[in-house]
Amino acid sequence: MTAVMLAVLVGVLFASGTLLILQRGQIKLILGMGLLSHGVNLALFGTSSLTRGAPAVIPHEGDLATILATQTFADPLPQALILTAIVISFGVTAFIVVLVSRRDAVTGSDLAPGELASILSTADPFAAPPVTAPTPAGTVMPDAVDDYDLLQYELDEVYDRPQDDAEAAIQ
Amino acid sequence: MSLYTAILPLPVAVPLLFAALEIIAGLSRRSRIIQLQKVLSLVALVINLVVALLILSFTLTGERIVFQMGLWPAPFGITVYADALTGIMLVVVALLALLLLPYATASLDSSRERLGYYPMALLLLMGANGAFITGDLFNLYVFYEVLLMSSFVLLALGGTPSQINGAIRYVVLNLMGSIMLLLAAGITYGTIGTLNMAQISERMVDAPYGLQALIAGLLFVAFAGKAAVFPLFFWLPSSYHTPHPAVTALFSGVLTKVGMYSLFRTFPLFFPDVLVAWQPFIMTMAALTMFVGVLGAFAQPTIRRLLSFHIISQIGYMLMGLGVALTPGPYGAGFGLAMAILFLVHNQLVKTALLAGGGQIELEMGTGKLSELGGLVTARPVLAVIFFAAAFSLAGFPPTSGFVGKLGLLQVTFSTGQYLVAGISVVVSLLTTMSMIRLWQYLFWGKQNPQLKPRPNLARPATRNLMLLPAAVLVALSLLIGIFAEPAMSVVQTAASQAIDRAGYIEAVNPQPAPTPAPAVAQEVTP
Repeated sequence: MTAVMLAVLVGVLFASGTLLILQRGQIKLILGMGLLSHGVNLALFGTSSLTRGAPAVIPHEGDLATILATQTFADPLPQALILTAIVISFGVTAFIVVLVSRRDAVTGSDLAPGELASILSTADPFAAPPVTAPTPAGTVMPDAVDDYDLLQYELDEVYDRPQDDAEAAIQ
Repeated sequence: MSLYTAILPLPVAVPLLFAALEIIAGLSRRSRIIQLQKVLSLVALVINLVVALLILSFTLTGERIVFQMGLWPAPFGITVYADALTGIMLVVVALLALLLLPYATASLDSSRERLGYYPMALLLLMGANGAFITGDLFNLYVFYEVLLMSSFVLLALGGTPSQINGAIRYVVLNLMGSIMLLLAAGITYGTIGTLNMAQISERMVDAPYGLQALIAGLLFVAFAGKAAVFPLFFWLPSSYHTPHPAVTALFSGVLTKVGMYSLFRTFPLFFPDVLVAWQPFIMTMAALTMFVGVLGAFAQPTIRRLLSFHIISQIGYMLMGLGVALTPGPYGAGFGLAMAILFLVHNQLVKTALLAGGGQIELEMGTGKLSELGGLVTARPVLAVIFFAAAFSLAGFPPTSGFVGKLGLLQVTFSTGQYLVAGISVVVSLLTTMSMIRLWQYLFWGKQNPQLKPRPNLARPATRNLMLLPAAVLVALSLLIGIFAEPAMSVVQTAASQAIDRAGYIEAVNPQPAPTPAPAVAQEVTP
């Protein structure tokens, strides 16, 4: 029964994680990745035969073969694997959160340029484009810019500056 | 414990140690510290190359090096394992990392240096080396994560909008691959009862075919996603053109190739039956990968985007080699795998040379747009020649390594009877040639754009020569492999016959049979 419930839970986590990843918007992406990691961790947990009320400790005394044959133990290996996997997925999730917040800061948008977001977000595709106030230069990227022009902009910034200025700017 | 057993963990330990030292040194705010980091990196990379060469020289005699970490016997501890395939990969990656160090020192801007390019490059090397030498499936996953984490940082280093957008796609798609790999490891442990690669190999052949196919499928998705196989390649062209060219060159030689190495390592070892049964599927994927990749390259307006699509196209050839891996040839069993390994090495050399050369143009002229560049042959004659040789090596002209690799792959594919895929690979070679001619023509022929002036910081002769160094050495190596093809063939044949020799692997690692666990029925205890 426990195993069936675990299997259903893993399935639900995988399904909802996949659904969230396929949505537009980066916060949903992060949540979806988190759910998927939890799903796979639980699946790892289920790979040991589920044992209740028995610790993952084997007594030091006595013949190992007879102890293994007569007593029950939880399998410690999947627990160690899950611990490693949790730490790794935590690190990666933290990294994605930083990336997304950086993107928010530099582009002023939760969505990547070129993601068709501006087209999809308007209900009527033939509606006239909304009149927006001119943004101050250098703060917000125009959303129709090709990826490559963004790189271009950055390279100019770095390499056309004399070396001493660059050093001074960092100090 | 012999000398070789003792040095086997060094490809992981040395980069880790020096990266840690560099990170500690980087905490200081003095500007001299970057010089110290460069020196430390140089020392680490030289030691790493020497160790890799020692391991290769020993394993080429047909020996295998096995070390049980902590001296726990095999399946309880983590096994570290090296054979000739491992040795080849260690040497090539060590060489690439060493050659790209002067490239990076000459071309990196000071902000990227300060943000930690050098320690991160060492950690990337450590992850790749770990994935090569590990003999444990879960440990492989961990080293993949080390590799990926450092590549995430390198990709986003600099923090420009395009880099961050590219990095998010890259991180998410690679994370999906990691989840598949973890799931495969979990299912393997739950059903086969071990994570030691030798023991998996021992037990997997007796497992029911459905289970084998499940684990093989999960591993294939995981590794093929990292290797950018069709249809899982979209992360590559949307991210590889965004970071600094030194990073792109390093990635092209290391990242996708580690995925390919893992396919070469695990499939013949774990699933020889599945490999035969799935031949039509793998060949179809290979044909689609190479064809879609080369067609995508024609539509690209900039140097590095064009070359990223060629990375995908070339991955298709390696996958074709995996599909016919077990086919015997004139040099012995596993000739298909041998040719795939040769092609992998060729690609690591040539692709890195092309991306280093192309990146140099991009940095120096300030743009990588093919429509704006032109006429560089008078200003940069040496680069033009090197780029020409690398481009035609990629296309597969004699006397370069590309010709040898493609000829061998074609021969073995024909002898297997896969005429359609062999034909497609010939057509793709032709298209690659056209694409390379187009690229070279746009860059070096025609009129110079009067608006483009070389950046003074990068156009100094010393800087130019340092940046030319990796491309020159790698192209020379490609020519050497092409001219002295016979020794190269025997090297990769040794590697392939070791890689497909499952009994030899199992005997070398010698996993102990596990004591029988208590029956699972009696374990349900009602509280």
